[in-house]
Amino acid sequence: MQHAIEVRGLVKTFGAVRALDGADLTAPPGTVLGVLGPNGAGKTTAVRVLSTLTRSDGGSARVLGLDVAEHAGEVRSRIGLTGQYAGLDPDLTGEQNLVLLARLLGASRAKAKARAAELLERFELTEAATRAAGKYSGGMRRRLDLAASIVRRPEVLFLDEPTTGLDPASRSRLWELVRELVAEGTTVLLTTQYLEEADHLADSIAVIDSGRVIASGTPGELKQAVGGLVLRLEPVRTEALPQLRDLADWTIGARAEIEEGRAVVPVGHAGEATAVMARVTQAGIDLASFGVDEPTLDEVFLNLTGHRAEAAGETEREAAAL
Amino acid sequence: MTDTTWETRRGPLAQSASMAARTLASTRSNPATLIEFFMIPLMILLSITFFMGGQMMGTWQDFLQYAGPTIIVMGLFFAIPATGLGLFGDLKAGVFDRLTAMPVSRFALLAGRVGADMVRHAWALLVVGGVAFAMGYRVEGGVLGVLAAVGVVLLFLFSASWSMVLIGLTARTEDQIQTWMIALLMPLAYTSSAFIEIETLPGAVQWWAEINPMTALSETMRALLAGGSPGGDLAAMLAWCAAAVAVFVPLSLRAYRRKLTS
Repeated sequence: MQHAIEVRGLVKTFGAVRALDGADLTAPPGTVLGVLGPNGAGKTTAVRVLSTLTRSDGGSARVLGLDVAEHAGEVRSRIGLTGQYAGLDPDLTGEQNLVLLARLLGASRAKAKARAAELLERFELTEAATRAAGKYSGGMRRRLDLAASIVRRPEVLFLDEPTTGLDPASRSRLWELVRELVAEGTTVLLTTQYLEEADHLADSIAVIDSGRVIASGTPGELKQAVGGLVLRLEPVRTEALPQLRDLADWTIGARAEIEEGRAVVPVGHAGEATAVMARVTQAGIDLASFGVDEPTLDEVFLNLTGHRAEAAGETEREAAAL
Repeated sequence: MTDTTWETRRGPLAQSASMAARTLASTRSNPATLIEFFMIPLMILLSITFFMGGQMMGTWQDFLQYAGPTIIVMGLFFAIPATGLGLFGDLKAGVFDRLTAMPVSRFALLAGRVGADMVRHAWALLVVGGVAFAMGYRVEGGVLGVLAAVGVVLLFLFSASWSMVLIGLTARTEDQIQTWMIALLMPLAYTSSAFIEIETLPGAVQWWAEINPMTALSETMRALLAGGSPGGDLAAMLAWCAAAVAVFVPLSLRAYRRKLTS
């Protein structure tokens, strides 16, 4: 089967900085590929190469079987792009933005208007249709941006950090909209800094760091690789911390870390967390708070790369400054 | 759901028109640009006519009749950096990223800005020309002469604007665009017969003033507005316009490719 996205050994350098350093990515048609990484890992550069905005310096990048450099024109007519910075005209209304894109794509005036109205309805922007896009809230702007990238239904859609900076409600609304597009058969490449987002949307995830893919697999495989969940226990009295650590060891054989007045217990799945909690209750230890969390991106990174995500962020900022 | 496999193939010119309409539509949220566009030419007309006209030709009325049209054109000429600044702003805002990743003609993305600014120049010409008429300027060449002169001016501005497209695409800051405007436009305007007589210039400059495109334009306009035939001046001006388009359009397209797909 031909892949919708197929990237092999992709290299892109900006001066001395290797933004992409031999990255490999694949996405079968109709699936969502999540590209997860900190700022400056090379996510945006990968999206720019695949959407024909940047020429690579090495390796190959194919979209729908077409080399993006050789067949840029045809690739452009079959993809959609939502960049990190809204590609909308802030002075135009939501409707005008969509009509303009439809007109540029060849629609007649009447068809452009009909398509804009349909998209505004679908993305719950009908009421804001005649307001300037620059006056939209963050969530509305992202929805309009997503609508703008599917004015002509793309076969492959690139979403570069589509929910960065959004509140949780707007974020989950956007996730729903993306899932609908996927259900209609669109292949999506999504970059994100949030493990949670990749987990929600992606069929497979590629973790990228310093321009290279350092881990890939389904969300489940990846989380297993980085150690599943963590149970955080904060006792009322800090003297109880060693006791909590011992309990965790006896119950599930986990080695808990003590940090900032809390015992952090790695657990394989929620059931193990429940077992530890039951023992804590039996032992009569009073807890000020507790919680089961997914490992953060930082923890994934620490685990996979041995360095924290911020460190990579620094390199990126330096690269951006060049 | 609407079918989105649109049959209509709209060419680069139709796409340019869509882009121009987009730029003009933003006037509705920034109505002040309607005034901004004629402020420079208007102030240049008023200040030169009233403060220098009397000194140069006895009375400002005589000066207005001789130099009014060419001073208006010079004022419009000083407004063409708006094209470069507008493009620079669009590029900075990221508006062009999506458009560049779409199957849209590169020429149309740039020409849309130029086209929109041509509409604004026409608007400024109407307003400032109206002011000149109110001040007492009279045309001898009739309606046809006026229409021909307006056509010539707009063609000149269109060609010259492509130099601003190139600057807008290659400049790193807005200040750079302003600097280039003064560095390029001032000498062009002041070493022409727009409002001085070439014979009064020093020898070496005279040679340049004779072939200066602004001189060709000024003389063409004077002839058309006086009801005469511009002859060789029109030919010289058309040659300049063709040369500007032939040089700056390909250079701008190349700069665009470098900037957005490097």
